[in-house]
Amino acid sequence: MAIGMLQEKWPGKVNETVIGADKSRGGTRSNVVKTGGEASLPFLFHEGVFPHKPVIAFEIWDTAPADWPDELNKSLSGVYNDPLAWADKCINEYKAELLCVKLQGAHPDFGNRSADAEAKFISRLLKKVSVPLVITGCGDDAKDNQVIPACCEAAKGERCLFGDAVQDNYKTLAAAVSADGHSIIAESPIDINIAKQLNILISDMGLPVERIVMNPTIGAMGYGLEYAYSIMERARLAALSGDKMMASPFICFVGQETWKAKEARVSAVEFPSWGPETERGIIWEAMTAAALLQAGADILVMRHPKAVEKVRGYIDELMRGNTP
Amino acid sequence: MVEFKVTFFPDNKSVEVPDDTTILSAALSAGVSLNSACGGDGVCGRCRIILKKGRVVTQPNGRISAEERSRGVYLACSTSIHSDVEIEVPAESRLELESLSPQDVELRLKGKYAQAEEVDIPVPGLVDGIFSGVPLVEKISVALPQPTHQDRVSDLERLYRAVSRPGQASVPLLTGLSNIRRLGELLRAADWRVTVTVNWREGSREIVAIEPGNTENKNFGFAFDIGTTTISGQLVDLNNKKILGTKAVYNRQASFGSDVITRIIYAQQAEGLEKLHHAVIDTMNQIIHDLAVEHGVDLNDASGVTCAGNTVMIHLLLRIDPAYIRREPYVPTANTVPVIRASESGIKINPRGLLYCVPGVAGYVGGDVTAGVLSCGLDREKDVCVLVDIGTNGEIVAGNRDFLIAASASAGPAFEGSGVTCGMRSSKGAIQKVRLNRESPPVYETIGGCKPRGICGSGYIDSIAAMLKAGILDKAGRIKDGADERVREGQYGREYVLSYREEADADSDIVITESDIENIKRAKAAIHAAAHILLKHCDMDFKDVKKFFIAGGFGTCLDTDNAVILGLLPDIDREKFIFVGNSSLSGSRSVLLSEEAFRKSGEIAGKITYFELSVEPAYMDEYMAALFFPHTDLNRFRGAL
Amino acid sequence: MALSGLDIYKLLPKTNCRECGFPTCLAFAMQLAKKAAAVDKCPYVTEEAKAALESAGRPPVRLVSIGSGERKLDIGNETVMFRHEEKFRNPCGIGFIIDDGMADPEIKKTLRRIHELTFERVGQKLSVDLIAIRQNSDKKRFCDVVKMVSGNTACGLVLMTGDKEALQDALELTKGRKPLVYRLTAENVSSLVETVKRYRVPVVAASVTLDGLSVLTAELDKQGITEIVLDTGMKPLVEKIWDMTQIRRLALKKSARSLGYPALAVIDKTDRFEECMEAATYILKYGGIVLLKGTEIWQALSLLTLRQNIYSDPQKPLQIEPKIYPVGAVTDSSPALVTTNFSLSYYTVLSEVEASKVPAYILSVDTEGMSVLTAWAAEKFTPAQISASMKKSGLENMVAHRNLIIPGYVAVISGELEDASGWKITVGPKEASGIPSFLKNLYNKPEFVNS
Repeated sequence: MAIGMLQEKWPGKVNETVIGADKSRGGTRSNVVKTGGEASLPFLFHEGVFPHKPVIAFEIWDTAPADWPDELNKSLSGVYNDPLAWADKCINEYKAELLCVKLQGAHPDFGNRSADAEAKFISRLLKKVSVPLVITGCGDDAKDNQVIPACCEAAKGERCLFGDAVQDNYKTLAAAVSADGHSIIAESPIDINIAKQLNILISDMGLPVERIVMNPTIGAMGYGLEYAYSIMERARLAALSGDKMMASPFICFVGQETWKAKEARVSAVEFPSWGPETERGIIWEAMTAAALLQAGADILVMRHPKAVEKVRGYIDELMRGNTP
Repeated sequence: MVEFKVTFFPDNKSVEVPDDTTILSAALSAGVSLNSACGGDGVCGRCRIILKKGRVVTQPNGRISAEERSRGVYLACSTSIHSDVEIEVPAESRLELESLSPQDVELRLKGKYAQAEEVDIPVPGLVDGIFSGVPLVEKISVALPQPTHQDRVSDLERLYRAVSRPGQASVPLLTGLSNIRRLGELLRAADWRVTVTVNWREGSREIVAIEPGNTENKNFGFAFDIGTTTISGQLVDLNNKKILGTKAVYNRQASFGSDVITRIIYAQQAEGLEKLHHAVIDTMNQIIHDLAVEHGVDLNDASGVTCAGNTVMIHLLLRIDPAYIRREPYVPTANTVPVIRASESGIKINPRGLLYCVPGVAGYVGGDVTAGVLSCGLDREKDVCVLVDIGTNGEIVAGNRDFLIAASASAGPAFEGSGVTCGMRSSKGAIQKVRLNRESPPVYETIGGCKPRGICGSGYIDSIAAMLKAGILDKAGRIKDGADERVREGQYGREYVLSYREEADADSDIVITESDIENIKRAKAAIHAAAHILLKHCDMDFKDVKKFFIAGGFGTCLDTDNAVILGLLPDIDREKFIFVGNSSLSGSRSVLLSEEAFRKSGEIAGKITYFELSVEPAYMDEYMAALFFPHTDLNRFRGAL
Repeated sequence: MALSGLDIYKLLPKTNCRECGFPTCLAFAMQLAKKAAAVDKCPYVTEEAKAALESAGRPPVRLVSIGSGERKLDIGNETVMFRHEEKFRNPCGIGFIIDDGMADPEIKKTLRRIHELTFERVGQKLSVDLIAIRQNSDKKRFCDVVKMVSGNTACGLVLMTGDKEALQDALELTKGRKPLVYRLTAENVSSLVETVKRYRVPVVAASVTLDGLSVLTAELDKQGITEIVLDTGMKPLVEKIWDMTQIRRLALKKSARSLGYPALAVIDKTDRFEECMEAATYILKYGGIVLLKGTEIWQALSLLTLRQNIYSDPQKPLQIEPKIYPVGAVTDSSPALVTTNFSLSYYTVLSEVEASKVPAYILSVDTEGMSVLTAWAAEKFTPAQISASMKKSGLENMVAHRNLIIPGYVAVISGELEDASGWKITVGPKEASGIPSFLKNLYNKPEFVNS
C-alpha cells in the first residue's frame, strides 16, 4: 500500500518586511532586502512559499570593540577605528548585502557620544555605502531614547531597521521609527509571551505589524541555544497557524552571542583537548546560525567573514531546493 | 529587668513591657489591634505608627519614606522600645473588626450582591429541599411511660425507645457516661418529661443533652466559613431552618500574616501554632457571642457548629501542625477530621455540642471547596460546569455528575483589597464601581454610598478596565506617561488618582499604582491560567462549559464585561456566569441543616480529584501568557473590547 | 495515539475504590496517561480496557539498540515533532566512517583520534557513539579491518557491506557486539535476510522512496526483524530534510507502523565545515543516526554540544548560572541582594535594580531553577545554602560592608541567616516591584537610631 505524504497546509504566513529604500521607494539604497513571507516551516518547500532567502547582516560598530577575540581581530582589527572603512570592507571584500551598525559609542560608559554626533555618523554612513542598514542602540535605555530618534530622522526615508525596543522601553523608539518610515526590532528575553505582547503593544502605538522584526534573544550553541530554538519554532507555528501578532520575521544576533562563548574564544594552548581555535570559533558561529535557520531565522547578524561565507553557502544549498 | 510604659493613642491604653520589645508586640499586649499583613516581617508596611514621645530603635526600611520618617512614622514590627513611649495609631493601621449591615447580609446570603434579582441561587435544603432529612442536631421532647413490673426496661433503653424514629432502627444511639450518671434522677425529677438533644455522629446518633420539660423550640446551630482573611458565621434556627443573623469579621490571624504560607511559617515559631489557634477560635467565639446576644439565644441551646475552610485554616482551628502542607509533596495531616466535641477545640457553645468540619480534598483544596461544590450542585450537573472561588488562594473545580477535578492557584489577596496601596475589603466606603470619561472626573460608586475610603476588588476590576479602555494603560499594565492629568509619579512609581483626598474619607489621595495593577494582573493570571489548564486536562475549553459559578468576596457587585476585559473571566457567553457569593458559607449551612448534605459532602470530597498545578509544566507557560490584558492570546478574547 | 487522562478514566470502573493506591479513578487515570502507573494496579479493570491502553501505549517510533555494554546506543522511541511539545528522548547517534581501503596505521590513528573525542559540558560526559566500517575492498580486507576496529573500540559498530559472505564473516567476528548492518534493500533483502536473522542484529533498511521503505520494513517485520533504521539514501540536503520530516510525521500523526523507526543519514562532503553543518541539520531534524568522515576535534565538539542542547529537557526551568552579578557602576559599598537562579526571578530583580539606578550586586543562589518561595519550601533556599553561596561566590571580597538584602517572602530566615553567615540581614520587599523605592530609601537614609 502506498504511503501518502502528510503535507501541512498552513492558513497563515510570516509577515513580509522590507529593509532599505531604493530610488523607486523614495530612498537612496542600491538594493533592498526583503525578508519573511514564508508560508511553511523552514525549508519544507513542498508545503508553502518561501519567497525570500534568509539574509546575513555584517555587524559593525561605530567605535573600536575592546574585547573581541583574536580570531575576529585577525580579519577586522585593521578597520576597527574607521567604521566607514569597516563598512566598506564588509561590502567590497565580503560581499555584504546588509549591514548592522551598533551605536556602542553612545553608551555612557563607552564614549558617551551625543545623539547629534551619532545622527551625523549615520548620515555619513548612508552616503558612503548603498546597502540597507540595520541600526541598533547601545543598550542604555535613556541614552537610546535620545540617540535612536535623532538617527531615525537622519535616515528618514531610507527604511532602516532600528532596534531594540523592549517591553520596558518601546514607546519612544516606536514613535520615532513610525514617524520616519523605518521598521523596528522588538526584543524579548527568550520569552514567547513577551515577544507577542511587545508586538501587540508596538502595533497598538500605530506602527503596522509588517514593520516589526522580532529579536527572540538567542544564546550561542552550548549557551541556551535550545531555548531560543524552541521559542522560534513555537512562534513560527503560531504564525503559520494564522496569528498575525506572532508572524514577524526573526533577527538573530548570532555573532554577538557566539563570540562571547568560551568555545569560540579560548586558545588551544589553554584548552588542548578542544583543539585549534580558528575553526572552532568559526564553526561555533556558523553552526549556531545553521541551527537558528532551521528554527526559522530570517536575518542573521554575524561577525566572522569565514563563518558568513560558510553560512551563505549553506543557505544557497538549501535554497537550491526551492523550485516552485 | 527594665520595663517601660507604652501608651497608645487615641485608645489611651497602656502596658508595661521589657526593654527592646517591639511596638507590635506591645500593641498586642495592650489589646490594641494593629494591621500586620506580613506577620511582622517588616515587609507589608501596614503597621505604621507615629512616635509621639520616647526613644526607639528601628530597622532601616524602604517602606517608610524620608518625609514620613521626619514626621515620626515607624513600622511597629521593626521598631523596639527603649524608654517610656507614647504612640499614636493612625486609623488606616487598625485592624478593624466590623459587622455587616442586615441589608448587606441579606444580599450576601442570596449570593447575588447588588444584582440580586438577576440570578437565581439554589440554596440546597433551604429553598427547594434538594437535601431531605433532618438537621445535624435535633431536639426531641418526650414523655416516657413510667416503668412498671410489666415494663422493666432500663431508663436508658426507655429513652432510646422514645427517641428512635421509624426507619432509623439500625442507627445506633450513643450516650456519654456523664449523661447516663444523671439520667435516673433527672427522669424522675422531671416526671418523665424531658427534651433530648440528639446529634448525628458518624453514622450514629448521640444524645448530647437531656433537659427537663419541653425545650424543643430552642434548637440553634452555627455555620461557619473560615477564610484566610475573613471569617463568616451564621446563627440558624434548626427548627424552621431560618437564618437569624450573620457576621463577617476579619480573621484575627491576619496580624500573623496575610496568606496561608505566612501562617504556616508562623506556626513553626515557638507558640506560633497556639497563637494562631487561639486567634481563629477567639474570632469564632466573638461571632458566636455577638450573634447569641443580638438574638437572645442561650448558648446552651446551640449544640452544633459546622465549619468549612481551607485545609490550613482547619488545621489551625484544630491546633494541628500544618507544616507538611507547605513542603513537597504538600500532604496535610488530615483532609477529613472526625466529628469532635466543640469544646475540645475551644468553641463556646453547649459544652457537649459537636463540631462538624466539612471534609477537604488536599492540602490546598479544602472543605470550603467541597462546601462550594455542594451548594452550587456541581456534582449534580449533567454538563461540565466550573466553580471558581476567587480568594487569596484561587480554587477552581471543573466537572459534573461523572467527575470532579480541582486545582488551587496562589493568587494573592489583591482581589480582597489586600496588598494593594488603597485596597480594602468590600465594606462601607469601598469604591466598588468605576466609570471613566476623558472629559470629566471619574465617576464611582461606594458601598453604602458614603465618601470613599479605599478600593475593593470589584473597584479595581472596574478601574483597570476603564483605564485600558480610555488608553491610560497599555495592555502590559503600564500607565502611559502624560495620558491623563490624573497620572503622576508617586512615591511607589507611576500612579493614577481615582479620588483626591478632599473628596475622600482618607488621609491621602486614593490612587491606583502600576504595582497595584501588577498585583491584580498576577492574581487574575494565576486564576485564569489554572482554570484554563484544568479544562485542558479534561480535553475542554471554556466554551464547552455550561455554567460558570463565581464565588468570592471581591465586592458586592461585579461587572462581568470588565472582568473579561481584564482576562480574569473567560470571554464566553455572559449568561453562563452565575454569582454564588460565599458558596463556602452556603455549603456549611446546608450541612448544618441536613444530615444527608453532610454525608453528601463526604462523598463529594472523595470524588474530587486534586490536580497539582505546581508540577504541571504548562501552567507556568499559561500563567506567563495570561500576564497581559486581557491575554497574550488575543484571539481568546475577541469579545472583550 | 496517546490517550488523555479523561479518555482513560472512561475505561476505568469509576468507583473511586482507592485500591490502586490513588484517591480517585481520575487521579489514577491521569497517572496512567503520564505512564507513571501500571494499569494492573486496578483489580477491576476490564480486559477490553487493558487492551486499549496497551495499544495506545506502544511507542510510535520503535526503540532500536546498537552495540552492547556501556557504550550501547539507544535511538528512537520519539513521541513529538517539536521538542517544546515534550522533549526529544534518545539523542541522535554520531558516528564516523572508516573505509577499509585506508592503510592500517591510518586506521589506527583515526581510531585513536576518535577515542579522544570526549568532552565534559555542564556535568555531562559527551562522546561519539559509532564507528562504521565501509567495504571498498575484498572480503578478507573488510574482515581484517572489522577485526582491527572492533578490537580497538568499545563504540557501537556499523558494518557497511552488501556482500553476503563478507557480512556473514563480519557478523561472526563481532558476535555479541550487536552491530548495525548497513544496509538491506529491495534488491538484496532475499539474499541477506537469513544471515541477519541468525545474528539478531539491527539493520538499516534503505530505499529512495518512502513507499519502497514501507514495503521493505513490512517484509522485514514479517520475517521477525523489528530493530530497523531507515535510510532514504544520499540526496540533496533539502530533500533529506523532507524525508526525515515525513518519516517522523507519518509515524506520529498517521501511526504508520511501517515507518515507525529511527532514520539515518550518511554525509558525503569533503569540506569539513559543510559536512559538519549538514550533520547538524539532521541532529536538529529528526535524525536517529548521522555518519560522517571528518574527525576534527572542533567538528565533534560542536556536534556533541548541539546534540546536548537539542536533546535537553525543555520542561526543566530556565536557569542562570549561580554567581554574583554586578549591576551598574558598583563599588565596594554597593548593596547586595540575594535571589534564586530561576531565570525569571533573577531577571525580574535585575530589571528593578536597574530601574532603581542604584548600583548593586545580585547574588543568585543555585536553587535548581526554583523561584524564591518554591525553593524555600523545598529547602533549597535555606540559611545554610545561602551563606555557602555567599562564600563560594566571593561576595565578601567584593563589598566592604556585611549587609545582605533578602526577599521579603523569606523574611522568616533572617535570624538564622544572620547566625549562619555572620552578616547583617535586611528584609527587602516581597515583590520585586518594590525594589526601586526600597533601594532609594535605604540609600538616602542610612539612619538606624532615633532618640
